[in-house]
Amino acid sequence: MAFAQVAIIAHKAAPEDTLSHAQLLDFYSCEIKTWRNKIPVVVFDLKPVSEIREAFYKLLGKTPSRMKSIWLKKLLMGESNPPLALESEEEVLKKVAATRGAIGFVGKTKVTGDVKIIMVIEKKEK
Amino acid sequence: MSRFKNCMVTALLSCGFSPLGAQPAGLDLKIFGYFQVTFGYRKDIGRPVQVKSFSLQQLNLFLQKDLTPNWTAFVNFEFVNSYSSFRNWGAQNLEEAWVSYRRSEQFKLKLGLQVPAFNNLNEIKNKTPLLPYIIRPLAYESSFNEIIALEEFTPTQAFAQAYGFISAGKLKFDYAMFVGNSPNINDDFRRGQTGVDTTKYFLMGGRFGIRTNNLKLGISSTIDRVDFYHVAVFLGYDLAKFNRVPRLRLGGDFSLNAGKWLWESEAIRVTYDDDHPLLNLDKEFYYGTLGHQLTERFFVYAGYWVLRENALPVRDIDLVALTAGAAYNINETISAKAQYGRVRSESSISPTEAERANYYFLAISVVF
Repeated sequence: MAFAQVAIIAHKAAPEDTLSHAQLLDFYSCEIKTWRNKIPVVVFDLKPVSEIREAFYKLLGKTPSRMKSIWLKKLLMGESNPPLALESEEEVLKKVAATRGAIGFVGKTKVTGDVKIIMVIEKKEK
Repeated sequence: MSRFKNCMVTALLSCGFSPLGAQPAGLDLKIFGYFQVTFGYRKDIGRPVQVKSFSLQQLNLFLQKDLTPNWTAFVNFEFVNSYSSFRNWGAQNLEEAWVSYRRSEQFKLKLGLQVPAFNNLNEIKNKTPLLPYIIRPLAYESSFNEIIALEEFTPTQAFAQAYGFISAGKLKFDYAMFVGNSPNINDDFRRGQTGVDTTKYFLMGGRFGIRTNNLKLGISSTIDRVDFYHVAVFLGYDLAKFNRVPRLRLGGDFSLNAGKWLWESEAIRVTYDDDHPLLNLDKEFYYGTLGHQLTERFFVYAGYWVLRENALPVRDIDLVALTAGAAYNINETISAKAQYGRVRSESSISPTEAERANYYFLAISVVF
């Protein structure tokens, strides 16, 4: 079974053009909360279970339940709030384009010029 | 009156009710929390003792407000054991009230009433949705407070803490250093307990650790001075020698996440520099839990816990627990838990008669 290529996207003004795997995990696990230029990182998640979401979590090396428990821990420790989980890839695109410091993930074919691609998960065969 | 009601409604509507909500859209006040309802059954082995009871084990209510992008205020009200002031049940507690400053990931500062970092579980011991357990590893289980001096094993309060981490490739080096009151706010039996530290001593401690994506280990320590006035009076010892006895807590924690397997363990040793040949008040605690994520929603585990609390020459107590349990996430905010524990306790008061009991628990944990 194949899944579509996943693009990790950021707001156009994001100071980084690429992110390492470790940096991406730090952003998504709310360990690091600001970009290099001190702009707050705003992370978006995708709500519906899909190949895109599955591929993204696989890249992070965490199961969705593990990520949720990391976010819950941060919340109950008063450290940070969980990412906003949006209903569709279109909504993620729209939010990332409109929110300074935002980062999210969508299928590569959905990407428009309103956002910056900072990483692509290559197509894999299972 | 109606004006007052309107004000209240307006005030409530202007608050952000944020369960597992989302990253901040502004600087609103967020209100959220959790509770855990349990049913427990205990059957002693060899004795006709059976206890069964429902309980609202815990309810915590949080208020949080990001004052600026760098400053956050946080308040945590805790209600335990079906709290009811009307019926004199349970207890309520202002568990945390602090403001934090975040300069960077390397340096954060937390000021106010807080639970300090110590080993793996101390900060989250009362955050029941984060734990698969219903009965927590013994030194962290508040319902054992009447038979175990829990506060002696781990620090329960601090008032200022600097913490953060430094990244080096895939490694993160954690640190936390804190300061709080000496325990005389709890253990000075000669004076009324007011929560005011009347000594010149502090509690000081910290944790240093290393972690990667799947591995976490650290060492923790605290130093403070305990008043053993009541022990000295009871034993007829020299009072002056038991006034503010230095206490050292040492801890180590190790957690490993390998695929669907999870290992968590801790060791704590508490020593008192009482300098008395006949007296031994040292304490030890170890636990290890092996867990397996059977499915996305279903987690099972088994654990072995040992606690030794000396109060020689009066008595000592050894508790050994074997436990197994499961947690099932019904949805994002509700989980069901079940746990079995077999606890063996042995005391120097009656060394030939170890007490054994089986514990069975069911619980529902809800985040709101």
